[in-house]
Amino acid sequence: MSDFIQFENVSRQYGSVLAVNDVSLGIGKGEFFSLLGPSGCGKTTLLRMLAGFERPDSGRVLLDGVDITELPPERRKVNTIFQNYALFPHLSVRRNIAFGPTVAKRPRREVDEEVDKMLALIQMRDHADKRVDQISGGQKQRVAIARALINKPAVLLLDEPLAALDLKLRQRMLIELDMVHDQVGITFVFVTHDQGEAMSLADRVAVMNHGRIEQLGRPVEIYEAPQTSFVAAFIGDSNFFEGVVAEVTDVEHVLLRIDGFDDLRAFNDKGLHEGDRVFLSVRPEKIRISREQPLGGPDHNTTRAVVDDVIYLGTHTRFWLRAGEYRIAVEQQHNRFVLDEQPIRWKDEVWLQWHVDDGFMLERYAESDEALMAIPPQRVGESNAGLEDGGRG
Amino acid sequence: MAETRGLLERRHEPWITLPSFLWLVVLFTIPAAIVFAIAFKPSDPFGGIGAGWTLHTLASLGDPNYPAILWRTVWLSVVTTVACLVLATPTAYYMARVAQRWRPLLVLAIIVPFWTSFLVRIFAWKVVLHPEGPLKHALAALHLVPADGSLLYHSGAVLLVLVYTELPFAILPLYAAAEKFDFRLLEAARDLGAGPFRAFWIVFLPGIRRGLLTATLVTLIPALGSYVVPDLVGGPTSEMLGNKIAQRTFSDRNLPHASALSALLALAVLVPSVLAITLSRRGDRSAQVKP
Amino acid sequence: MKRSVTPFVITAAVLAFFYLPIVVLVVNSFNASRFGGEWNGFTLQWYRKLLASPDIWHALGNTFTIAVLATVGSTVLGTTAAFALDRYRSRLQDAHYLLVYAPLVIPEILLGISLLLFFVALGVELSYVTIVLAHVTFCVSYVAMVVLGRLQDFDWSLVEAAQDLGASPWVAARDVVLPLLAPGIAAGALLAFTLSVDDFVITFFTAGPGTTTLPLRIYSMIKHGSPPLINALSTLLLALTTTTVWLSQRLLKEAR
Repeated sequence: MSDFIQFENVSRQYGSVLAVNDVSLGIGKGEFFSLLGPSGCGKTTLLRMLAGFERPDSGRVLLDGVDITELPPERRKVNTIFQNYALFPHLSVRRNIAFGPTVAKRPRREVDEEVDKMLALIQMRDHADKRVDQISGGQKQRVAIARALINKPAVLLLDEPLAALDLKLRQRMLIELDMVHDQVGITFVFVTHDQGEAMSLADRVAVMNHGRIEQLGRPVEIYEAPQTSFVAAFIGDSNFFEGVVAEVTDVEHVLLRIDGFDDLRAFNDKGLHEGDRVFLSVRPEKIRISREQPLGGPDHNTTRAVVDDVIYLGTHTRFWLRAGEYRIAVEQQHNRFVLDEQPIRWKDEVWLQWHVDDGFMLERYAESDEALMAIPPQRVGESNAGLEDGGRG
Repeated sequence: MAETRGLLERRHEPWITLPSFLWLVVLFTIPAAIVFAIAFKPSDPFGGIGAGWTLHTLASLGDPNYPAILWRTVWLSVVTTVACLVLATPTAYYMARVAQRWRPLLVLAIIVPFWTSFLVRIFAWKVVLHPEGPLKHALAALHLVPADGSLLYHSGAVLLVLVYTELPFAILPLYAAAEKFDFRLLEAARDLGAGPFRAFWIVFLPGIRRGLLTATLVTLIPALGSYVVPDLVGGPTSEMLGNKIAQRTFSDRNLPHASALSALLALAVLVPSVLAITLSRRGDRSAQVKP
Repeated sequence: MKRSVTPFVITAAVLAFFYLPIVVLVVNSFNASRFGGEWNGFTLQWYRKLLASPDIWHALGNTFTIAVLATVGSTVLGTTAAFALDRYRSRLQDAHYLLVYAPLVIPEILLGISLLLFFVALGVELSYVTIVLAHVTFCVSYVAMVVLGRLQDFDWSLVEAAQDLGASPWVAARDVVLPLLAPGIAAGALLAFTLSVDDFVITFFTAGPGTTTLPLRIYSMIKHGSPPLINALSTLLLALTTTTVWLSQRLLKEAR
C-alpha cells in the first residue's frame, strides 16, 4: 500500500478496556478523513497515537512510509487542533501563533513575517495583541488553525474541534474548515461523534465502535449501505426486524419470514442461505406511507400498519406505526404544500411500502450498543422512549 | 492520563513523589511513632529518656488530676466548636448572598484576622480583658462585675479567646460551601410552603454539610490541642491537656510522661477525625471521581 | 421574597468581635497610658523604644532567615508533591496524600512534641536547624494543598499542545506550565512564609536554649514584658499582615 498514513495492527489497552483493538487503516495524501463513533469507541486514542501522545501497546504507525511509532510528539510533522483549542492563556493571539516557529528557534524576523501572514489569512490582524480569553469561540478556532498550520505540518489532526461551538457557529466553521482544506491541500484527520460533521466534510469515514473499525467508506456508502447494524443505527435511524431466510429466490434476493408479516423480500448482498437468522434494516425515509393500497409488484414490500403517533417537524413528518409486534418509524418529506391534504392521523390504518433493495440484512446488534443508537431497535411494549423522542433534530 | 507520553509519564512517578514522601516519613511519621514508643519508656533523672520498657508511665495517667483535665479539654473544645458553628454559619450564609461586589471585601475582612499573628490576637484580648483595661472599666462602671473581680484567668476567658481565634477557620470553609450552594433551592422550599427558618434548616444546612464537617474539624482539632490560649488567658483552674504536655516537657522535664499525655491527645483527636471521614465517605461516595 | 435580617446582624456582630480587640490594641499603641485603661494622650514613644531594642531586631532577623529557608524548602517539596498527587492515581499516591494531609489536621502541639522527641531520641542538639526542619515539615502540606488547588484547574492539554507544536518536555514545562502556575506557587510560598513567621508552638518545642524568634520574643514579652511595647509591635505586624494578604489576593486573582 502507498498510503500516506498507515496504522498497522495497532492496539491500546487501558486497564481491562481495549480502547483500540488491532486496527489497520490507511489514509491517503491530501485526504479529508474522518474517524466517527460514540465516545469511548477508540477514535480519539487512534488520533493521539498519530499525534504522538499515546504509544500503541502493539502495532506500528507510519507516516509517508516512515515508522513514527516511537517518535515523540514534538518531532512529528503533525499538528493538532484540540477539542477546546488549548490556546495558551498567558500568551497573546500573536504569540500563540508564533509558538511553533519560536520553539523551533527560527529567526525572529522570519517568525514575525509568517505570523503576520497567518493573521491576515484568518482575518485576525486587529486582534493580534488580545489575550485569548478576549476573543470569541469562532476566533479561537481560527487561531488554533493558524497556530497549527504555520508549522507547515504534513497532517492536521482535528479532535472534535466544533464540539464547543453553538449550532450556527458550528455550521459556519464547518464551511471554513472545508475551505481551509481546499486551500492548503494537506491531509486532515478529523475526529467526531457527530455524523453530520463527518458526512458533510469527509472524503472518507471510518465508523468506530469498541475499538474496532465497523465500516470504512465514502459517506454515501456508509449511509446507503451500512455493513453492520451498529452502523445502520448510529448513522441516521433504522428500523430493525428479526427473521429467518425462508427462501433464496435469485442470486440477489431472498425471502424473509418475520413474525407478524407476510414474507418480505430483501437484497442479499451477503450470500445468505436458507435458515440463516438475520436482522432486516430499513431506514425510515425509505418507507412510503399511504391511505390507499399502493401498487405492489415483486420490487416492493407492502404491509399494513396502524398509526401510533404523528410528529410534525416542518420539513418532514415522522410517523410511529405498529405492525405485528414491531414499532416502525417512517419519515415523509413535505415536498408540496401539505395544509390542504387530508392528513394521516392517530389510529388510522395505513399502507407501508419500500423497495426491496432498500432493506439490508445485518447481523444482530450487541445489547451494549443500544444506548449509542439514535433509535434503539424496539418492539411494541419494550419501551416508549421513541414516542417522547420526537424524531432526530 | 498518566499513561500518556509527555511531561509527567508513569515512569517519572517515583522521582516526583519521593522527595516530599520521604521528608514526611522521616519528619512526621517516625516522630509520631516515637511519641507512642516513648510513652512506654521510663524517665531518667537528667530529663532524658531512661533505658528499658515500662508501663509505669501509662499507669500514671490514672492520676485523678488527668480525667478532670481531659474532661475540661473536651468540653471547652466542644463548646468552642458549637459556638463557632453557630456564629459562622449565618455569617457564611450572609457572605454568599450579599451583592457580588461586597464579597471580596467581606472575605478580606475575615482573612485578615485569619492571617494575623496568633499571639497578637490573644494579646489583644489580654489588653481588652486586663484588670485596668477598657472592658473591665466599662463593666465595673455599669456594676456588671465587681470592681475587684477579674475578667481573665478562668475558663470563661479561655472559651472566649478560643472562639475568637478559631472563628475565622470555621467561616472560610462554610463560606466556600455556601458560595457553591444553589440558593434557588431555598426559593423552591419557600414555594413549597416551608418558612424561612425551616428552609434554612432542612435545605441550606444539608446543602453545605461538607463545609459544616470541615468547619467542625478545623475548629475542634486545634481547640483540643490548645496550649497558648489557656496558658496566656487561663488560670490554674482552666488548664487543658496542652498545658500539661508543655509543663511535663519544659518544667518537669519528664519526656515519657509528656509522650503519654500526647498519645492521649492524639487519641482524642483521632476519634472525631475518623468519625468525620466515615461520615463524609457515606455522604458522597460518587463525588470522589475526578473528571 | 423578603430576606431575614438575622444573618446580617450576626455577620456585623462577628466583624465587630473580630476587630474590636484589634482596634483597642492599635489605639493603645499610641496611648501614653501604660495599661490603656484611659487615654493619656498621643505618643510614639512605644514605637521608639521598640525600634531601639536590639532584642527585637535580632529576633526579627532570625525569624526571617528561618522563614526564607523554610519557604524555599517547603515550596519545592510542596510543589512536587502537588504535581505527583494531581498527575498520578496509585496506591503510592493514596499513602502520599495521607502523609501530606495528616499534618494539617494534627494539633500543632503534637507536631511540636513529636519533633522534639525525635530530635532528643536521635541526640540532635536543638538549634536554628531543627526549627527550619520543623517549619519545612508543616509548611509542605500547606504549599501542596494550595498548588494542588491550582493544578485542578490546570488544563494539561496545553502541555500536549506545546509538544505538538514542537516543544520538548523541558521547554513545555518552562514556557507553559511554569508561567501558568507561578501565581499559585507564589501564593503557596507566601502562605508558607507567613505561617513560618507566625509560628509559635512548634518553634517553642524545637528551639534550643538561647534561640529566639519574633513569636518566642513576643510570648516572653506577654508573659513578663511591657504591654505598650507589644501593642506597638502588634500594630506593625498587623500592617505587615494586611499588606501580605492584599498581595496574595492579587496573586490569586491573577492566577484565575
